[in-house]
Amino acid sequence: MQPRRRVPAARWLAVTALTLAAAGCAPQSVTEQGRAIHNLYNLFLYIAAVVFLIVSGLVLWSVVRYRRRDDELPTQTHGNTRLELTWTAIPFVIVLFLFVATLQAQNKVLDPVASPALKVTATAFQWSWRFTYEGTGAEVIGTPERVPELVVPVGQTVRVKLESADVVHSFYVPQTLFKRQAIPGITSEFDLTFEKVGLYHGQCTQFCGLQHPDMVFRVRVVTQGEYQTWLAAARRGSAGQPGT
Amino acid sequence: MATTELPLPALPEAHHEEPGGIVDYLTTVDHKKIGVLYMVTAFAIFLAGGVLALLVRVELARPGLQVMGENTFNQVFTMHGTLMIFLFAAQVSTGFANYMVPLQIGAADVAFPRANAMSYWLYLFGSLIVFSSFFVAGGPAAVAWTAYPPLSTEYFQGTGMDLWIIGLAVVGIAGILGAVNLVTTIFRMRMPGMTMFRMPLFTWGVLVNQLLILFAFPPLTVAFALLFLERNFGAKFFSAAAGGDQLVYQHVFWFFGHPEVYIIILPIFGVISEVIPVFSRKPLFGYRAMVFAFFAIAALSFGVWAHHMFTTGAIYLPYFSIMSLLIAVPTGIKVFNWIGTMWRGSITFSTAMLMALGFILVFVNGGITGVMIASPPIDFAVNDTYFIVSHFHYIMVGGLLFGMFAGIFFWFPKFTGRLLSERLGRWQFWTFLVGFNLTFFPQYLVGLDGMPRRIADYSIERWEPANLASTIGAFLTGVSVLFFIWNFLVSIRRGAPAGDDPWEGNSLEWATSSPPPHHNFHQLPEIRSERPTFDHRHRGDPAFAAAHSDPERG
Repeated sequence: MQPRRRVPAARWLAVTALTLAAAGCAPQSVTEQGRAIHNLYNLFLYIAAVVFLIVSGLVLWSVVRYRRRDDELPTQTHGNTRLELTWTAIPFVIVLFLFVATLQAQNKVLDPVASPALKVTATAFQWSWRFTYEGTGAEVIGTPERVPELVVPVGQTVRVKLESADVVHSFYVPQTLFKRQAIPGITSEFDLTFEKVGLYHGQCTQFCGLQHPDMVFRVRVVTQGEYQTWLAAARRGSAGQPGT
Repeated sequence: MATTELPLPALPEAHHEEPGGIVDYLTTVDHKKIGVLYMVTAFAIFLAGGVLALLVRVELARPGLQVMGENTFNQVFTMHGTLMIFLFAAQVSTGFANYMVPLQIGAADVAFPRANAMSYWLYLFGSLIVFSSFFVAGGPAAVAWTAYPPLSTEYFQGTGMDLWIIGLAVVGIAGILGAVNLVTTIFRMRMPGMTMFRMPLFTWGVLVNQLLILFAFPPLTVAFALLFLERNFGAKFFSAAAGGDQLVYQHVFWFFGHPEVYIIILPIFGVISEVIPVFSRKPLFGYRAMVFAFFAIAALSFGVWAHHMFTTGAIYLPYFSIMSLLIAVPTGIKVFNWIGTMWRGSITFSTAMLMALGFILVFVNGGITGVMIASPPIDFAVNDTYFIVSHFHYIMVGGLLFGMFAGIFFWFPKFTGRLLSERLGRWQFWTFLVGFNLTFFPQYLVGLDGMPRRIADYSIERWEPANLASTIGAFLTGVSVLFFIWNFLVSIRRGAPAGDDPWEGNSLEWATSSPPPHHNFHQLPEIRSERPTFDHRHRGDPAFAAAHSDPERG
């Protein structure tokens, strides 16, 4: 953005650096499904950047080249059918191309796997989360003060069954590049296959009342062995609340 | 070239010599005064909504809660959205339309002057009902401007929520009434010779915008009625436990909510299509394509509502995705035709033109990110984050405000007979352009990084620089608005006299005095093209004979 160059003060170098870093691409995804979104985002961004540069270039060129120099009236052109058809057809083709790319990515993101390794019911409530591990008896319940953790094994597909106990919420883990609304009366299912061990921030993104900002959770992705250890402990109820 | 005497309906003599005082404004049925009332009211609401926006930015400048609690913050952003979307953005163009449409089509007033006054007073009192929620126990609604149940029904108990519903329903009815009036005016009140395809683009924009209101506001009124019944009379339309469905509310709300975006922006497209030809000294490039683009956008806008619901998991994604993506095509036609108008023109950089250029740049930015989020997988990532906040502020703040100020600088001389200061206008433009981008560009980045919207506090420290920049930018934007208010107050009393036609305008409003007389025109030029005032100015010059500039003929 040209106007940003006018901003003084070295303090905002950080912002500029962030701009350059983040404007290039979406954050890396830590799930298999999210990788498709990441690639799609970048495809859109590159095309968007080219379109923006062309349009703003044409605007700036007109502004510089055709500024008023004398009182003579310029040629009164009313249009040019061939030109207008061209700039109708080209965006149309671009849009169709983006649509096809969208469909392909969408299938990768949403197609359910035949047999997920584990199924977790995530229940959103004002203002925290409950994660129930289907068929194991393990359950994690958070509060706004005690952030709940969803512990999952790396490389395995987790089927999340999302529900709400009261108002509309939204399940969002930024590094999966994915979110889904939790709507009362509806069970919404989606798969997440985490590819990297780590601890990831999660948060409700659908405004849900007073303590909406506190409705935070974490996803702890661990190795298969660690997961089994955690699960055994969680079953006994002794380590069911690994949150802080 | 001869001028045509306009056959005027006989008016009571008293109407010609009205006093300009408060009583006059309270009782007027003159479309120009009602237009002024609309614009002044909408601008006052804009200032109130702007102060609320600054409060949001102050709270978010740093992590932690500093100046207000969570409940206050929730009320502040809810009312910011409510005031800006319902009571300002859709109304300020109605003000412009009220003033300008009869002038642009050579009419003496709108079709139903009394209903016009009624629309305004309903709008004002509806707005006051919404404002009154600040003074009741529990304060105003804290449910976000979309008011999703069951949060807005079972969980938010205050009277503020009911006042919110009632006030906005009244404003919605005012909008429907106003739309009937303006649509009828445009179809029935055009002067002889003013065929549809000779109407100025602003009038076209208003026509399509008001048609959208006719189709989009009734569902909104329904949504509000259902909410009210559910809150107060035990109805269970949206309550899953009683067999209702929350998604129904989302569908009905967004069936209004997306056309609302075009309700807001189409008249602004019209303003831009007036300003650019005048200051490029060329006719609008591709007039007919511009008109068809309006209708294409309007038609598509009713098929895209569920792109606000991609993350519900209960939407047929491909349909809403392709419809949303397709809107880029007619919008692109508009942008390219504006550039085509400037191409080989003779461009003067008045403040109005600068604002129009600023409009194109920020609007294209917002439009391009709009294409990105029309793709469901991308929306899965950024929905309900600051990326979305930034996207629609690029359309709303960037698009609407740059366009609105272009319109104000363009038409203020017609409203008042005086020019706004160009020097202060330039200060306003540059502080606005820098302040606006500094506010919203960083929000794209924190949004991509996962910062949700509608949170009073955030614990992730790397979000701070962007938020701080955003807050500083918001205050710079505030300064730009102060430049405008200063300019307005000075110029309305001591501005340079404008004359009837300060910009060498194209359309009929420039063929009458500034401000126009009560009945608008003493005489009217002959209409032979979409630029009657231009034709009249060049009537002795055979090179620019009317046939040369009539889109119907060539």
